[in-house]
Order: sequence, then C-alpha cells, then structure tokens
Amino acid sequence: MNNVIIDARNVTYRYEGGLSDAVSHLSLKVYEGEFVAVLGRNGCGKSTLAKLMNALLLPTSGEIMVNGVKASNEDECYEVRKSCGMVFQNPDNQIVTTIVEEDCAFGLENLGVEPALIRKRVDEALNAVGMAKHAHSSPAMLSGGQKQRVAVAGVLAMRPRIIVFDESTAMLDPIGRRDVFALAKKLNQEEGITIVWITHFMEEAVQADRVVVMDHGRIALEDTPHQVFAQMDKVLSLGLDVPEMMKLSARLRASGLKLPHGIMTVEEMAENLVKLRNA
Amino acid sequence: MPIEIKHLTHTYMPGSPFEARALNDICLTINDGEFIGIIGHTGSGKSTLISYFNGLERGASGAVLVNGVDLSDKNADLIAVRRTVGLVFQYPEYQLFEETVEKDIAFGPTNLGLTPEEVERRVVHAMHLVGLDPSRAKKSPFDLSGGQKRRVAIAGVLAMEPSILVLDEPAAGLDPAGRHEMLELISDIHESGVTIVMVSHSMDDVGRYCDRLFVLSHGEIAYQGTPAEVFVHGEELNKIGLDVPECAKLAARLRKAGFDIPQDAYRMEDVAGYIVKNIGKGRSDR
Amino acid sequence: MIKNVTLGQYFPGDSFVHKLDPRTKLLATIALIAVVFVSNGFAGFVMIAAFVLLTALSTGVHLKFLFKGLKPIMFIIIFTFILNVFFQQTGEVLVQFWVIKITTGGLRMATFMAARLILLVVASQLLTLTTSPISLTDGLESLMRPASKLGFPAHEIAMMMSIALRFIPTLMDEADKIMKAQKARGANFETGNLIQRAKAMIPLLVPLFVGAFRRADELALAMDARCYRGGAGRTRMNQLKYGTRDLIAAVAIVALFVLVILANRFCPF
Repeated sequence: MNNVIIDARNVTYRYEGGLSDAVSHLSLKVYEGEFVAVLGRNGCGKSTLAKLMNALLLPTSGEIMVNGVKASNEDECYEVRKSCGMVFQNPDNQIVTTIVEEDCAFGLENLGVEPALIRKRVDEALNAVGMAKHAHSSPAMLSGGQKQRVAVAGVLAMRPRIIVFDESTAMLDPIGRRDVFALAKKLNQEEGITIVWITHFMEEAVQADRVVVMDHGRIALEDTPHQVFAQMDKVLSLGLDVPEMMKLSARLRASGLKLPHGIMTVEEMAENLVKLRNA
Repeated sequence: MPIEIKHLTHTYMPGSPFEARALNDICLTINDGEFIGIIGHTGSGKSTLISYFNGLERGASGAVLVNGVDLSDKNADLIAVRRTVGLVFQYPEYQLFEETVEKDIAFGPTNLGLTPEEVERRVVHAMHLVGLDPSRAKKSPFDLSGGQKRRVAIAGVLAMEPSILVLDEPAAGLDPAGRHEMLELISDIHESGVTIVMVSHSMDDVGRYCDRLFVLSHGEIAYQGTPAEVFVHGEELNKIGLDVPECAKLAARLRKAGFDIPQDAYRMEDVAGYIVKNIGKGRSDR
Repeated sequence: MIKNVTLGQYFPGDSFVHKLDPRTKLLATIALIAVVFVSNGFAGFVMIAAFVLLTALSTGVHLKFLFKGLKPIMFIIIFTFILNVFFQQTGEVLVQFWVIKITTGGLRMATFMAARLILLVVASQLLTLTTSPISLTDGLESLMRPASKLGFPAHEIAMMMSIALRFIPTLMDEADKIMKAQKARGANFETGNLIQRAKAMIPLLVPLFVGAFRRADELALAMDARCYRGGAGRTRMNQLKYGTRDLIAAVAIVALFVLVILANRFCPF
C-alpha cells in the first residue's frame, strides 16, 4: 500500500450557528496516487470535508494531516493549500483575472515565485490541460468545460500532490463533464496526483479506485465501487443512484440468469451475456 | 395545436463580426397533452428556441403560432401568450426575490391582473402541486434548501396556470434523489393535464418520460420522433456529443453479437425481457 | 455585445503604440494633456494635432472611433466656443449687429479653447483605444506602487478593478437571464411612469445582488485556496518592462514639448 497522504482523525466541524455537525467524528485515510470518489446527498457534508482538506476550514475538533502537514493548524494553511489544490463547482466563480494565462499564474504569483519560473510552470500547466491555444483568451469567451480546465491548470501550476474536485462537473453539459473527468483521470494516472472527486454522477464514481459515501457528516459506506454499488438498497436509501447496468443485472438475476455480481458497465454486461448465451 | 413553429431562423448578433445562425429553418409542432423532450448540447440553440415559445424572442424570420396566434405579429397579446406558455429557466431559484415564498409565487398571477382572492387561491394550489408544505408560505425563500427553492420558482410559473409548461434543465445540479423527485414532480404536473416541454442533457431522463423528442444540433433539428425512433441513431448521436441510454447501448451491442433484440427497445424492462428470451430460461437454469 | 463591455473601447492591434508599456502610454497621455495646456499659439496646436493624428494613423485604429468620443461633449465644445466669441472683446471688430459683436480676439480665443478640448479628448481616446483595460490596470498599479509605501492601497485598488472587469460580462449575462425569467412571469420593464419603472426593477435587482454576493463569496474562497494573501510578497508573471520603444516614445514626447515651447516663444500667433 502507498503512503497515506490525507489522514483525517476523528474530525468534527460545525458551522457557526449550525444546529448539528456538518462533519461529525469522521476518520478517513487517502493514499498517495489514489482516485477516491466521495458521494452523498446534498448537505451530507461532502463540501465541508473538501474544505477541511484544503485548510479553508479548520476542524472544530480532531485533526487532519495533508501531505505530512497539519491542516488543522492555522499557521500551516498555505503549506497545505500548496500541496492540496481545489477545483470548485461553478466555473465562473473561481477564475480571477480576465486573461486565461494570468489566471493560471495567480497562485504562483501569490506564493511570490520568480516570474521566469511562473512563466514556465504556467505554460506547462496550460499544455497539460490542453488550453495552451487559449492562453490569451478572455475566460468569458470559453465554454463551461474549458473554464474548468483553466481552473485545473491554475491549480496544477502550483504543483500540488492532491487535487480535490468539489462537484466540478455538476454545472457542465455531457461533453464538458466527460472532458473534465478524463482530465482528472489523466492527471491521476500520468502524473500520479492523488484525486479526491466529489460528485453526484454515479457513472463517474464507478471509475474511481475507491468510493466513500457520506451521510449526515459521517462515512456511511467505504469500499471499491463494485462492493459499494453491490449494496443496491443501501445505496438507494442514502439518496444515491446505482449504475443502470447494476439495476439491469439485478433484474436479470431475478429472472433466473446466472450473472456475476458487480457488473457496472455496458461492456462488462455485454461480455457476460454473450458468454452466458454461448455456454 | 398549442405550439406550431414554421421555418424559424434566428441570427445571433446580425451585422457584427460575431454573426451566427442560432436557429436554422426550424419546423415543429407540439400537440395538446404531449410530453416533449428537447435535447442538444450547449450552443445547439435550445435556449434560444424555447425563448420563442412565449415571445421573449421575436422578429426572426418564420412564424411561431401559439394557439393559432402568430407571435411575430406586433399586436399579439404577449401577456395572454405568457399566461398560456409558462417558461422555467435553468437554475430558476436564482430569480427569487420576494420576502416570503407566497409573495414570490404571487408575482406572476398578480402581473396577470387577477383579483387578490384568485391570486391567493392559485398560490395555495401551486404550492400543493410542487409539494411545498403550506407552513413554508410565510418563510423567506432564501432560507430554503436548493431543491426547495427550485420548487418555489416552478410554483411561481405554475401559478400563472399555463396550459404548456416549458422547463430548461429542471434537474440540473440536484443530487440523484432530488433529480428523481423533480422528474416525478414534472410527470405529475403532466398527468394533471399540462403539456410539458422539457429541455435536457440526459437521454435517460427524456427516454423515461417523453412521448416525442427533438434533437437539436447547430441550430437545426437533427433527429425527431419517439424516443425509440431517435435512439436508433446511437452512433450519430454520439458524434454530436450526445449519448443514448445505457440499455439502448447494450441492446445495440448485443444485436451485433447476434442477439435478437428489436431496434426500438431501450427501456430496461423491455431489454431485460428480450435478453431473457434470447438466452433462454431453461439454459441458464441448467 | 455584452461580452464586448470588458474590452471597453479597446481596439486590438499590433502597432508600435499598442506594444508600448502601459505606463509609458499613461505618462505620455499626461504629458500630452500638459503640452496642450502649455501651448498658447496656433503653431503649437498644429504641431500637437499633427502629432496626435500621425500617432493615431500609425495604430491602425479607424479614425471614426477616435472622433466618436467627441460626440458626447460636442455640446460643451460649441458652448465654449460661443461663450468665448461673445465675451472676449479684443482686437478688430469683424461683425457688429444689435448686441452681438464679434472680434478677432474673440474668434482666436474661442478657436483656442475648442481646439484644446478636442485635443484633450482625442489624446485620452487614443490611450483607451490602444490599451486593454487590464493592462491599463497593471500600469496604474505599477505607477501607484511608490505611493503604497505611504499606505495607499495600490494593489487592492488594482485587484478590485481587475475583478470588476472579469465579472462585468458574467453579471451582464445574469441580468439578461433574470430579466427574461421575470418577463416570462409577466413582469413589465418597459412601460409606466418613473416610480412604476423603478419598482419594476426590484425583481431584477434583488436576484442580481443576491447572485453577486454569492459569487463574491465563492470567489473569495477560490482565491484563498490558491494562497492569496494580499499584495505583500506577491510577484507577477508578466513584469512590465520598459524597452527601446518606450525610449523612442519618451524622446518623441519631449521633442514635442520643446517644439511647442519654442513655438510659443517664436511664432506667437
């Protein structure tokens, strides 16, 4: 097993004036190089957890270590934010400047990095997300998916070890959604960046290494996508959905077909059915 | 025929360097009591098209007839049209502005010049239709959750008692349970006798609820017909950035592998039925 | 059209003037304004006008844009002209009719004032036509930086200006959407008296403000997440650098200054 890169130990967070804990006695380990999907209905505490990982919020109690730095310590918050970047939901509300490449440079400028080095990192980051040809465009002229890629580049330029995506595909159309998800996958596989992917879309969650389902500020389920979605009733009761193919396979099993558990994609299903017919 | 569109062409920013055809020679008819789906990716012209349905956009070439009234006619009574065609935009919760839920819902009917008693009756009825508890009537809409706010916004349009309700991505941004509830809600509104036009990205959703689909691409109707008729074009739809429901995809794949599944099967229960028939209950039980 | 607002009246181009450092352009514009006031003879004005016109021609910006800025102040120019004609009663009398008396001195003064106004407007127009708002902001920030040592919030002002520029198109789009949504609910923004119209704006303004605050909140969070902590210790990727071009521009402006002063002294008409 790889090193633990995020380690939340018994973390609780309550918003000022809140009636209950947004995150309640939660413990979670994320390993280096992992792609973890976090699911849960609106208001289950997913976004709060994301902000705790980035030291945008400091836990009311408990502690959280990010890349060896204590994110529950206010003095270290810039160290934490350097190693753990964050991409938010609304593409419009996280781009600061009127020119794409300047936005990309924003984080490094804040850190006081040498101009020449910023230039190099920005060019690399824009290339990595495929937005180099829009470097001098105005964000207002870009599509939602392109704006999110710019936001990813802005984080990437800071060379983080972890990127937290807080429902970053929720406001995009299917093309943009696929695009941004594929980008996160690529960064995970090619650059070894740890990804925490918060989403409502099951078809994204099934492609993660591990799925964490939250409910009322706690972890309700935590396992591989196969194991999590196999518990169909539980998943539905947590306000989530299961992939269509899992519903279909439950239906087919009910009518007597001997299908293995854990079929999630069309490819797997087709393969198994052809095998079954030829048996 | 509540809505009939003939050869509608809309040019975006005419005469400027950004000039572009947003809609090109659109012809479509929406009948009473139908549940229509309009699909297309961002920039396909969907939003422009629905703005024509109640005269928010006018003056392009072509004709838009609502209950026989041509909206391009300068003397057309637009208030009457807006009473007939209710339009719920994307993320409608961002248009709420009143101090209380009931005042916000009353905005539309009050603009129609109805009596206070009638407005009151409609507010109560609309809240009931969208499943909002009457105890929320005096609350500030800004204190509600996202899904509840959206219900208030939809109630605000329903209170005008339109016979046609047009919704742009009504389930966008909701969690799966909220999504499901929202679609069921729209289905209930349809049952109550309102014609529904739903703009969506999700083929699964339109496949489940709609009678007829229009697929827009680059300002033109690329495909139309029942969901089954449209989903046959799986590969072409993929090329314009759209997906067919998972079960339709599976059916297509199995057909290639020699399964006998008709072209028009896309609902899970139908596809499951055909699969069982193909593999044979006896063999799998063996 | 909405998206063009952030460009202000910027006319993108690739000319010598476009490529000048924004600080040079700001300082040069100030110098031009000064020289317009220093000049007190026609020879000087002709020189300045020639300079401005030649510069404008070199930028490739269509001249009609240059003079567009004059339209709103045409009234003031004409008013100033007439006022000066009537109240400056020196030199030879050219026309005398009832109470109206036009003198050479009056005409001269009036032409002077009008020329001054026109040159002022055209010179500053040239700045905004050839410099994007964002580089103007950068230039201003850089020029004001010495003042920040005295507690002047140069970085903060520049950051506010650039965020405003960034969000104008977003908010314009949003206003358009809300307006459509309320119209669909029967709202009427077009007719009625002043009070009715002001009241009709509430359904537009409330959601717009609520939305702007929501965006501001989210943006602040996103800036925090990227380690923003004010101007202290911040670097910039694109450093402003004076080049040979800027030197040439400076020499040109100084030359113009000298010529105008010489003209004041030796051709005093």
